[in-house]
Amino acid sequence: MNEKHTTLGDVAAIFYLTPDNAEIGEKNLFLTLKLTTTDENGAPTVKEYDRIFLHRAFPFEHPESFISVQDAEKNEIGMIAELSVFPPETAERLRAELARKYYAPALTAIKQLKERYGYAYCTAMTAQGEVHFTMRDVSRNLFRIDENRLLLTDIDGNRYEIPDLHALDRKSYRQIELYL
Amino acid sequence: METRASLTARLCAWDPSLDASDVLLVLPADLPREAAGDAERKEDGIAALLKDRLVCYVNGTEAESVPLDALEKCEFRMGIGCVFAEYVKKNGEAAVLCRADMRYKDWYAAVVKQMTRHLKGEEIRYDFEAELFRVCPKCGRPFRPGSSICDHCVSKRQYLSRLWAVARPYRFYIYASVVIYFMIAALNLLPPYLNRILVDRYIRSETRPLLTQFLLVILSILGVNLATRLISMGRSLLLIEAGNGVVVRLRELVFDRIQMLSISRISRRTAGELMNRVSNDTATVQGFLTRELGTVVEQAVTFLAVAVILFAYDWRLALLILLPVPLVLWLHRAFHRTVHRRYNRQWTQNARASTILHDIFAGIRVVKAFGREKYEEERYDRVIAAERDISASNERFWAVFSPIIGFLMGAGEFFLLYYVGQKILSGEMTLGEMTQFSAYVSIIYGPLRWLSNIPRMLVRVMTSIVKIFDVIDETVDVADSEDAVDLKIEGNISIDNISFGYDNTAEVLHNVSVEIHPGEMIGIVGRSGAGKSTLINLVMRLYDVEEGAIRIDGVDLRQISQSSLRSQIGVVLQETFLFAGTVYDNIAYAKPDAAREEVLTAAKLAGAHAFIMKLPDGYNTVVGERGHTLSGGERQRVAIARALLHDPRILILDEATASLDTETEKQIQDALQKLTTDRTTLAIAHRLSTLRNATRILVLDHGTVAEIGTHEELMKRRGIYYGLVMAQRQMSRMAPKGEDRSA
Repeated sequence: MNEKHTTLGDVAAIFYLTPDNAEIGEKNLFLTLKLTTTDENGAPTVKEYDRIFLHRAFPFEHPESFISVQDAEKNEIGMIAELSVFPPETAERLRAELARKYYAPALTAIKQLKERYGYAYCTAMTAQGEVHFTMRDVSRNLFRIDENRLLLTDIDGNRYEIPDLHALDRKSYRQIELYL
Repeated sequence: METRASLTARLCAWDPSLDASDVLLVLPADLPREAAGDAERKEDGIAALLKDRLVCYVNGTEAESVPLDALEKCEFRMGIGCVFAEYVKKNGEAAVLCRADMRYKDWYAAVVKQMTRHLKGEEIRYDFEAELFRVCPKCGRPFRPGSSICDHCVSKRQYLSRLWAVARPYRFYIYASVVIYFMIAALNLLPPYLNRILVDRYIRSETRPLLTQFLLVILSILGVNLATRLISMGRSLLLIEAGNGVVVRLRELVFDRIQMLSISRISRRTAGELMNRVSNDTATVQGFLTRELGTVVEQAVTFLAVAVILFAYDWRLALLILLPVPLVLWLHRAFHRTVHRRYNRQWTQNARASTILHDIFAGIRVVKAFGREKYEEERYDRVIAAERDISASNERFWAVFSPIIGFLMGAGEFFLLYYVGQKILSGEMTLGEMTQFSAYVSIIYGPLRWLSNIPRMLVRVMTSIVKIFDVIDETVDVADSEDAVDLKIEGNISIDNISFGYDNTAEVLHNVSVEIHPGEMIGIVGRSGAGKSTLINLVMRLYDVEEGAIRIDGVDLRQISQSSLRSQIGVVLQETFLFAGTVYDNIAYAKPDAAREEVLTAAKLAGAHAFIMKLPDGYNTVVGERGHTLSGGERQRVAIARALLHDPRILILDEATASLDTETEKQIQDALQKLTTDRTTLAIAHRLSTLRNATRILVLDHGTVAEIGTHEELMKRRGIYYGLVMAQRQMSRMAPKGEDRSA
């Protein structure tokens, strides 16, 4: 059997953006893209995008890998396998753009989590100071990313991350333990 | 929470050259707008639309300023966990104006829309602020959207008094039962007293007592016991009556309100949540009224009565008994909290195990097909092992601590024994008195265990009461106006420049205008998400338009009574729902008083009669979840018959024939054509062949009318419709049993 089977990748390959084919710039606080592709005959075509959007494929597990690069219509132009394939300066720019789109402050302590009439009121600490938020049905709005990481979503849609559950102080842990 | 006024004031303080009257619209900007630096950094920023420019101030200084005449529009964009307001200049350049966390989502969406209106020269509307800045008059905190309850200062009194208002028709029962509680409490105090007489006068008596008197005491004990039982029985009957009555009223209130709410309000909650409101929360209230409330009253009365008796008899003794009470209460609560925490964990783990089990069984074909039995087995084993560990730990905890707590809680009785024993030895007290006291002590410690549960119980029942009234208090948004008329519909539909979005973050339809004449059949086509179903939802008035108006025969939809509107519109939806019941009931759903012949005719017209007559029980065949399963096409035909039955003036077909095979579809199409000739019909279809009878075709694209005209006109135009027709021709040519199904 030397006959070669068609693999999935032959049929629908992921198109990766690399420093070789993509030039990422900045304009008006937006990222721009100059994409150079070659057609079947090897002739290069250049396409420029005034503004690109980034979207994480695995926001929890791989925040810096498998980044979808999309145009204004949310059509995927290509994917970035890992930010680090780009030179540090570009990678930093991409990282900052992602940080602007994804906002989920980390909670360093939970001071109080009190349930009242079906809503849970939380007072917690972040690096930016104290936050107060309300959750409806805690157990449903608490997503356990893995053994140690938690994501809480409040009624407004804000997200809060607990990066390491077991690094919380005892009092904070006891507040949240009931819902785990 | 910020408001327009507070932000405007702060902005003017930052920049004294500004006057409050210059500031037209404001937005809080608490997150940095540029992509740089620390991802979590917060800022103090305000963006504003001034009379001459769009600005963003950060930490008191101007960071951005664009003159209005350079601007084209403003845009709202969602991040993940944050929102953006952006602007687009006339030269096409775009930029971020400001950014904030999700608290301000609705504010951003509404203001950005108004900014664009202003740029287009339209008047700014501030009516969004009424809902946005609604705050609790008491504590100043904002209300949750759609709710009129401030979670922070719901007053228990207020809710209990509202519950009392619902319970009013049963107040006699409740008063009576309270009286009975006092009687029972009094009766409970009697047996220890009688016991004392029995012991002191007869059993320990030096002289031989009269047998008749002895029997009399025994009989009174029996009588008191019997009376207590009988009265309790009466009380239970009274309370069951009252509790059930109140709950039925509550359920009616909740259910009626839910029925009155618009789809948008209803779909904010899940079906499960609504069922909880109607069934479980009302059941909690019922349990409270019929069982817990009564027990609390009874226990409290008993406690007080015994305490009074004890103090009257010997205050030192009473103190001795009551001193450990706070300790006992505290112990009980602490123990209970730990137990609750532990068992809650066990319960969660148990729920996790059943979820996995349910998953595996529901997906057993997939599990087997991919040979993942081993994996699932291990997954389940892990979860039940964890459950076993928790459960074992809990059992150990219970086994060790439960007796200790029991002992500690009874410790007061040992002191009593010592004190009383001494008194008996010194002759100050009789044996009978001691039995009486021991009995009272056990009576008084009984309610204690109960009292420590009261706070938790009150919280639970209050939660249910609040949730129930939360639904009852929902404002009816799509309501009949006071001067709503019953209209005899001719069939003219005029859609006048409407815009609409399900929530204010994304507009589904923008500035759609169509004039539909009576008797016309309008085919609506477009990509999924183009707004087709939304348009017909608006014509049915399941939602109210935000801007513009829909008029039927020249009357605004909002001026037509909903009952008269809906009774003249027939709808066949993409997903058909059959209620549990017979085929006949399902067809006659919208017109229960229809004559048998009418139902038969409607079924015949819909192409349903033939298959119904093949069912074992004909029109009496039970369908729905537990009944006979109909195929998708059969269900669809029943739904069509349902829509046709009340001979609607306006017929709405949303992919009505999509799940039918080509031949059946053609039959129904032919039948419908006869029917649609003098009826206004709106039909959505992906299969364009369905629309070959349409008078005109309306092509929606991204929420706007892209093309409208007859099939021939649109084909000549070679636009979107032409492309769709061509693509479908291509597809049908490729199909093995090729048949040109396009229009």
